[in-house]
Amino acid sequence: MRRLALAAAVALLASVPWMGNETLVEFGINALLLATLAQAWNVIGGFTGYASFGNSVFYGLGTYGTAIAMAQLHLPFAAGLGLGAAMAAACALVLGVPILRLRGPYFAIATLGLSAAMAAIFSNLEIAGKNIGLILPLFRGERLFYELSLALLVATTATVAWVASSRFGAGLVAIRENEEAAQVMGVDTTRYKVAALAIAAVFSAVAGGIHAYWITFIDPASAFDSTLNVKMVIMAVFGGPGTVLGPVVGAFTLSAVSELLASRLSTVAAGFYGLVVVLAVVFMPRGLLDLGRGLRRDGWRYFAQNVRRYRL
Amino acid sequence: MSALLEIAGLGAGYGEAPVLFDVGLEVRAGEIVTLVGSNGAGKTTLLRAISRTVDSTGTLRFDGRPLGGLTPEQVFDLGLVQVPEGRQLFDRMSVEDNLRMGAYRRRDAAGVREAFDRVYRLFPVLRERRAQLAGSMSGGEQQMCAIARALMAAPRLLLVDEMSLGLAPVVVDQLLEVLAEIRRQGITVLLVEQDVFAAFSVADRGYVMETGRIVREGAVADLRSDPEVRKAYLGVH
Repeated sequence: MRRLALAAAVALLASVPWMGNETLVEFGINALLLATLAQAWNVIGGFTGYASFGNSVFYGLGTYGTAIAMAQLHLPFAAGLGLGAAMAAACALVLGVPILRLRGPYFAIATLGLSAAMAAIFSNLEIAGKNIGLILPLFRGERLFYELSLALLVATTATVAWVASSRFGAGLVAIRENEEAAQVMGVDTTRYKVAALAIAAVFSAVAGGIHAYWITFIDPASAFDSTLNVKMVIMAVFGGPGTVLGPVVGAFTLSAVSELLASRLSTVAAGFYGLVVVLAVVFMPRGLLDLGRGLRRDGWRYFAQNVRRYRL
Repeated sequence: MSALLEIAGLGAGYGEAPVLFDVGLEVRAGEIVTLVGSNGAGKTTLLRAISRTVDSTGTLRFDGRPLGGLTPEQVFDLGLVQVPEGRQLFDRMSVEDNLRMGAYRRRDAAGVREAFDRVYRLFPVLRERRAQLAGSMSGGEQQMCAIARALMAAPRLLLVDEMSLGLAPVVVDQLLEVLAEIRRQGITVLLVEQDVFAAFSVADRGYVMETGRIVREGAVADLRSDPEVRKAYLGVH
């Protein structure tokens, strides 16, 4: 039943480019890629409990991998995605070991520095077009980009579903809940954390690659944009971190809210967006999915309980 | 009888700071051995060296097999399982999920079911509370849960660190009885304790550690009558 509903939802989403207008497709591509990023963040942030602010680095490496492969090496798009994903995975493996030793806010701050550092590195690389950036070959295939983004989101979500039900995922949750205890019970915590980061890195990079080819122009500032990272964290947390569908629901909801506000209210939109996030954190800190369950169980008292339980 | 755990001339420390010097200790199969000493004596560091989370020099053998060069996970797989200081439960997970994490590295589903049965028989209260969040139980129940979780891993040698910490004496007595029962079931125990009275009441042999060195060792009965030990640890003359 649940599977059937999911399949129907995917089919419905897949049919959008053949029914909707251009604006809707453009909105769709953005929303799908953001949902992918939120879902990828979910692996390291939601399941493993490491709030990474460095996932935009993986996204940026994906955009640059694709751009360098296509604009400089004249390779096909698929090779570009592969190069970007490989660069991101290598980055996760190399940087993961030292930074995943840090916990809590220290980890968040260390990862936050990575975007800035990476932007500086790439604006000095000849092959990456220095700080001017790169222009990719033009390809006008909105429908293809839409379907690719959807396929990527489905693949990412399938991976998260596997994580949620696997022994590997149980190890990640154990790390989130008590890392010392996980280690004492024989979980190879370092390897698990690095693997979780690498999974997040690969999917984020492919999302970056698709976005780069779609937009056809990239530069260091847009590729390594830490506000993008803030967005994915907010979306994942809004929907429900550590759940299979929460980040997707959160990303779609917030994308829609932000789009509606932007078209109706323009400049005040950002303020309202912020307000929505603040209210969400106060009244439903465990995300949209938990809200659904809580409302059915406790009705409106659910909100009061949250406020009390988290002492807000 | 050959030693299950054999430690000789062991040194260990953190970076430039050495903590353990020339430590020798033996645990034979079927024994309860206790390692006592005050705060900062190096007891926990010795446990870390045994479980290979801290590097050490000297001899460290389990069942005749050198442990040097093994990862903590490999040592765990040999059957050296810890009940860590401060219990370290997964507070927001149920008792049952905590126990399941103990069997995390086991792949024999039937054996795991049997292990559940066995620990629930040993701790009936945990069966009653199996759906309760581990963090919401009393200290004594949490310590039971920590011991039970370690037992789920099918240990050959149970390393228990500061079991009595923060618990009422009557609860400590219950837990000591459980350790005796665990030993009857064929599991060897190394009990690291500050509470010398409690430790001596259940152990066969003991070691006394001071500033990183073993200063006394022997049968518990002998240690109890040792004037130095009586003065320093038992508070009697």
